[in-house]
Amino acid sequence: MSTEITSAANEIHAATLTTATSTKPERTRAGSGSRRERLFALAPRQWPLAVALTVILGVQGWNITNYPSLSDDEGTYLAQAWAVRQGMGLSHYTFWYDHPPLAWIQIAAVSWLPELISPEGPAVAYGRLLMPVVTLSSALLLYLLARRLALPRWAAVLAVLLFGLSPISVSMHRQVYLDNIAVAWMLAAFVLALSPRRAFWVHVCAGLAGAVSVLSKETMILVTPGLVIALWQGSHPSTRKFSFVGFACSLVLISGLYPLYATLKGELFPGAGHVSLIGASLYQLRDRTSSGSIFTVGSDANDLLRSWLFHDTVLLVGGTLAVVLALAVPRLRAPALAGVVLVLVAMRPGGYLPAMYVIQALPFFALTLAGLAWVAVRMLVCPPFKTLWRWIGLAGTVVAALLATAAVVPRWIDGNHRALTASETSSYAEAAAWIRGNVTHPADTRIVVDNVLWLDLAIAGFEPGRGAIWFFKLDLDPAIVLPGGWRDLDYVVSSPVVRRDAERLPLVAAALANSEVVASFGSGDGRIDIRRVNQSKE
Amino acid sequence: MVVGLLLAVVSAGLFFVATATIWWTLHAWNTPETLRATRFGEADGAHELSFSLIVPARHEEPVLEHTVLGLLASTHTNFEIIIVVGHDDPDTAAVAYRLAERTPTKVRVVVDTHAVKNKPRALNTALPSCRGDVVGVFDAEDQVHPRLLTHVDHEFRRSGADVVQGGVQLINFHSSWYSLRNCLEYFFWFRSRLHLHARQGFIPLGGNTVFVRSVLLREAGGWDPNCLAEDCDLGVRLSSQGARVVVAYDPEMVTREETPDTIGSLFRQRTRWNQGFLQVLRKRDWHALPTRQQRLLAWYTLASPFLLASVGVVTPFGIVAAIAFKIPIGLAMMTWLPVLPTVAMVAFEVVGLHDFGVQYRLRVRARHYLTLIAGTPVYHLVLAAAAIRAVWREFTGRNDWELTRHVGAHLPAPARVDRAAEDAA
Repeated sequence: MSTEITSAANEIHAATLTTATSTKPERTRAGSGSRRERLFALAPRQWPLAVALTVILGVQGWNITNYPSLSDDEGTYLAQAWAVRQGMGLSHYTFWYDHPPLAWIQIAAVSWLPELISPEGPAVAYGRLLMPVVTLSSALLLYLLARRLALPRWAAVLAVLLFGLSPISVSMHRQVYLDNIAVAWMLAAFVLALSPRRAFWVHVCAGLAGAVSVLSKETMILVTPGLVIALWQGSHPSTRKFSFVGFACSLVLISGLYPLYATLKGELFPGAGHVSLIGASLYQLRDRTSSGSIFTVGSDANDLLRSWLFHDTVLLVGGTLAVVLALAVPRLRAPALAGVVLVLVAMRPGGYLPAMYVIQALPFFALTLAGLAWVAVRMLVCPPFKTLWRWIGLAGTVVAALLATAAVVPRWIDGNHRALTASETSSYAEAAAWIRGNVTHPADTRIVVDNVLWLDLAIAGFEPGRGAIWFFKLDLDPAIVLPGGWRDLDYVVSSPVVRRDAERLPLVAAALANSEVVASFGSGDGRIDIRRVNQSKE
Repeated sequence: MVVGLLLAVVSAGLFFVATATIWWTLHAWNTPETLRATRFGEADGAHELSFSLIVPARHEEPVLEHTVLGLLASTHTNFEIIIVVGHDDPDTAAVAYRLAERTPTKVRVVVDTHAVKNKPRALNTALPSCRGDVVGVFDAEDQVHPRLLTHVDHEFRRSGADVVQGGVQLINFHSSWYSLRNCLEYFFWFRSRLHLHARQGFIPLGGNTVFVRSVLLREAGGWDPNCLAEDCDLGVRLSSQGARVVVAYDPEMVTREETPDTIGSLFRQRTRWNQGFLQVLRKRDWHALPTRQQRLLAWYTLASPFLLASVGVVTPFGIVAAIAFKIPIGLAMMTWLPVLPTVAMVAFEVVGLHDFGVQYRLRVRARHYLTLIAGTPVYHLVLAAAAIRAVWREFTGRNDWELTRHVGAHLPAPARVDRAAEDAA
């Protein structure tokens, strides 16, 4: 296997060596003028990429505050980012090591921007305005990665289009999920690992980017075997040892800051009366309710898979096949392995499968699909045949490409049409507006909400934590002391997630049972009821 | 809070120092191209320059003969060897004169009559007798490759250099736990770091296998007789005058040496070097370097024994203080920052040891790696102590020369037996 990898590396470097040797003297000697000229000289060749990125930006950004519906997780991450910004620590409640915090620390650095644009909220919907920037960065990095794997420009642009325009991408990338940020950093790590200069410090930076990715979302660690292959291909035998150790040091030591943080706080090991990193990890890996197998009809995992496939089958099914096939193509092996590991872990029988898990695999699906398209084209167009056969091959390629486009594009247009026009967040916006307009003394009011509304209320002046109470913490956080139980509450906002989890949360259930609806938004299962607690009730 | 902030700032500084040191230490492996450029070019075999090789020898009778015979085996056709002995050292002088009698056309003996003896004075004593275009320096215990002069000859002509520094390598890594680390220090220094210095135009030269054009050396007034690191000083003075220095390292062609035979000896040697660096720093010849970047590198390099010693000593204190004073979590994490490059450096040393074994076809076993890792804290304590002692000696005005004793542990077995016999005689 290693010889094949080396041959792939040589192939890659044969394709990129010219840039490596020619840019170096210019970089050291030439002034900024010639660099600018070079940039302009590149521009005409990059217009397909520029067009693709513009289209992606438009499709991702348009109607982003209205579709898809706001999820509690988005609210959690934005609320945590808000808490970081307020200097409250890593979370608006006790940080319990559910995820490493780097992603929302990054969000915190910029999440004041959407609040500036729309102070009236809803905060979570407008918080999404940050996401197209992340998606665009990932798309650009994916293009660079494809080019560094020596794919031709058209295949690189194809990968970017698959990655950016699949309806599942559009739906997932719009949401404020940690995975989106982690993916951008992981793609950066791949790009750095395959740098044509093969410089030691670039490989150290690859490890650094990998660490930032893992510290943004811990499940990204599954992608590191692919990254190691990329580094193997991107390093030279004479300096490889040092590159690998530099890479490993920065990856492990920087990631190690997270357990160090827990250790310094005395929260590494589980113990009475405090949260812990190992305790939380055991919960995520072992104790958390299993989603079942994705192959068992009726299991949570299967439902989740169906909801993913509802958005798009092409990228998911095609991508799954592509990562397996692409293992056989040396230069696609790094992204293929990354994808294969993710697929295998999703297929494991037990364990918990998060809703946003699929995000991590999307770039690798897109890249290997585009890469295999290039392999197919090369096989059809450049065989050692006579000219006639070559024309037939070319015609076959064109027909196949047209058929594929004809099969995919209508579905994607349909899916993205929904993303561009549907409105699924209005009930939250109306509920937030109602509370702001009708609750006259926010500072003295106790209101139980889900995390989507929580941030709006914190911004509106409710006391974070004890005035505006995240329903989940009402039963679980000992810091919330209510001597009178549910009678100490003023309002409870019943959203789908609150109704679903209330059966496990007795205090929330009691508050729901002993309250009456004063305002209702939306209809059916998705409606949001604002209920006033009947404090005098026996 | 104030304590915390102070600790954090100091830790950030130490982190920076340690990271920069790693970065420079690993210079040669930065890209495949830089690594390739560190080697000697393919020699054309022409012998156009003449060499005067000075070998200062003081109480070196066990190893001197072996070294001079090694030099005489050189494939170069035009060189002379000048052995410098002290007037108070009849044993070494006897060996030297015997060698001169055997090969009168190649070997001459010069007697150093200075009351207080040290290496730079010995070298200066020999300088007027040098007849070659290029003066080279070797120590009495050096094992020199026969083709070295031919390559150096070519390198001078190819690059138009004023100074060529060849590689020096301690070889007896198996002798003790500290000789292992000592060998690695040489490996990183000559294999990698010196090339960065040559490229940047500021170089503290090594003590031997260094070749300087005679005219330039005489113009510079030879070596500083009062400096404990005369080699470093010469490099700094020549670089400041804009001399062109080329460094070439080839595992085949390095000069092989041995580590100090006891840890105390290593400690004294290191004290001497550190104090020498400090002297060079205080002489301020490096102020004449043309660019700010060069001056910064010069300052940093000359001060680095002391900076690095402080990393080793201050970091544990910082961490303990951070826990004792219960400082905020963010600042407490900052105090751990210098640990990152320190751990990384140990990892790089493990790789370096592996590469060292490959380059010199030496068998490095698992226990050597374990020794390397386990010995790290103690070795750094020794270095830190030597740094502190050097500062103390310099500021109390003690600058006598503490000589390193050589027993020949780097030589192949037969030579060692010879010398044992000589010792007995």
